[in-house]
Amino acid sequence: MAHDTERLGDLLDSLLPVLVERLHETGLGEIEIERDGATVRVRAEDLDAPVTSAPTPIASRAGVPAAATAPSAADERRHPVHSTAVGFVKLAPDVHVGGKVAKGALVATVDVLGVAVEVRADHSGIVAKLHCATGDPVEYGQALFLLESVGEVKL
Amino acid sequence: MIKRVLIANRGEIALRILRACRQLGIEAVVAFSEADRESRAVLVADEAICIGPADAKRSYLSAPAVISAALATGCDAIHPGYGFLSENASFAEAAAAHGLTFIGPSAEVLERFESKATVRALLAKHGLPTIPGSDGVVADEAAAAKAATKIGYPVILKAAAGGGGRGMRVIESAEDLAQLFSLCTQEAQAAFGDGSLYLEKYLIDTHHVEVQIAVDKSGTALHFGERDCSVQRRHQKLVEESPSTALTPKVREEFLARAAKAIGAAGYRNLGTLEFLVGPDGKPYFIEINCRIQVEHPVTEMVTGIDLVALQIRLAAGELMPMTQGEVERRGHAIEFRLTAEDPVHEFRPQAGEITTFRSPSGPWVRFDSHLYAGYEVPPYYDSLLAKLIVWGNTREEAIARSRAALREVEIGGVETTRGFFLGLLETPSFLKGTATTSMLDSIGTADILAAAPKARA
Repeated sequence: MAHDTERLGDLLDSLLPVLVERLHETGLGEIEIERDGATVRVRAEDLDAPVTSAPTPIASRAGVPAAATAPSAADERRHPVHSTAVGFVKLAPDVHVGGKVAKGALVATVDVLGVAVEVRADHSGIVAKLHCATGDPVEYGQALFLLESVGEVKL
Repeated sequence: MIKRVLIANRGEIALRILRACRQLGIEAVVAFSEADRESRAVLVADEAICIGPADAKRSYLSAPAVISAALATGCDAIHPGYGFLSENASFAEAAAAHGLTFIGPSAEVLERFESKATVRALLAKHGLPTIPGSDGVVADEAAAAKAATKIGYPVILKAAAGGGGRGMRVIESAEDLAQLFSLCTQEAQAAFGDGSLYLEKYLIDTHHVEVQIAVDKSGTALHFGERDCSVQRRHQKLVEESPSTALTPKVREEFLARAAKAIGAAGYRNLGTLEFLVGPDGKPYFIEINCRIQVEHPVTEMVTGIDLVALQIRLAAGELMPMTQGEVERRGHAIEFRLTAEDPVHEFRPQAGEITTFRSPSGPWVRFDSHLYAGYEVPPYYDSLLAKLIVWGNTREEAIARSRAALREVEIGGVETTRGFFLGLLETPSFLKGTATTSMLDSIGTADILAAAPKARA
């Protein structure tokens, strides 16, 4: 499987940017390409936030037939960032669709009776979708936004 | 006016408060911890908000989380239910500071009635008989020994900040006191953050009798009769009923009127309960006050026909008492059984897990307050109350017969419960005669009570 993984990684590196661009141009919901015995399918999720810059805020779903039951690589790359408190949220300046976030960065604060409770990113990535806006009331554990990690593909 | 209430509690009481709010035309938001996302109150509510993780210290016991949740959901009041933050004066004060109505006594009142030792002295001054005891908190072991010698052993050493049956210890002799005083202080310090102790004469074979009272902002105080909560296990109430079998009609009416008068005069406000011990002499001695709605309030609702939670909300909103004492009529007899996720066969060991089957009883004058449903997962983090069965009858005998029938209908699968224990209790002579005292379970073993239960399908 190590060989497959490596091959898939190469495949994604070469194909993904092209596929993502094609998705945008055509407005298609999903593109599937078969090459070297592996199938790569890229699907645009129902992201309601406007997509401003290709290629990153696209959810992709890649799979090889042999590993059909393996956890989806896309799921592992998508990281919802959860509120750590109940109160009113304030998003950090970098937290907008397409914004880059480093692991451990302060991405938001939740105002709990005047005390700012920190929310930090567990992963590096690019903001794919916002679930709230600054000033919104949020509950404990609520997904504030979706981070998509780039450059690492696991099987 | 209260328009929108945050319900800062869980389990059956969250559901009970939700029902009262809906009946009053008030909006309600249920606050819940991550462990209670699938709770019935959350599922039934129009709106719910997660306030923290399962650990109660970071959710139901976190004043900032609860108040912040009330503000985030646009509530103008908080109902704390029982337990958790319900009698916490600084919480009530913080809620008020954020413009929220605390549904309970004000912070000022809670503070005044916070220390059991002080309250005892205060209510004694207003005419309530109290158990002979130390004059407030005892400063040290020497002061405790002096007070105990004066009163006579056995005495009971109690944490001034304690409650719910916790933080008390029976002291049989001067030697015991010497051995246990500092241990009790440490325990009280660890459990309640306050090591102050006071002591009282330990009465044996007592009935636990409590009076439900309500006081409006003008000081008009009413009572709603008494509840007898003598069937206890390690100071935890198992069964409650009204009226009490320990009071003669003459003693009862005089005692109830005196309790209402004293509590009004002492400056208490909103709903509360005055707890008494009734000794073999038939006389009630005041022991403590509970500044909240209580688990066993439905017993009183069944005999008076008055919705106490609704009344509590209306009084908190600033309304005057909507009735007179003469309009509070008590009729018949009601009994409540606390069905808990505990295994009576094994020392009432707490249970948790999925409720696989659930069937609630029904029928005339049968009330079943429960947050369960089949498939619900009982979390291990909180108290073990699963359901309260409350049954009313014209007489105590009728209520008991109806209770037997209702209990046989109850089915709660997946966890061990106290149902079998109650079926046995309803065949136990001292309970049937109404002579059961708080020490009943010390003299009759749990095994004997369980053995008295009729066999299934009998």
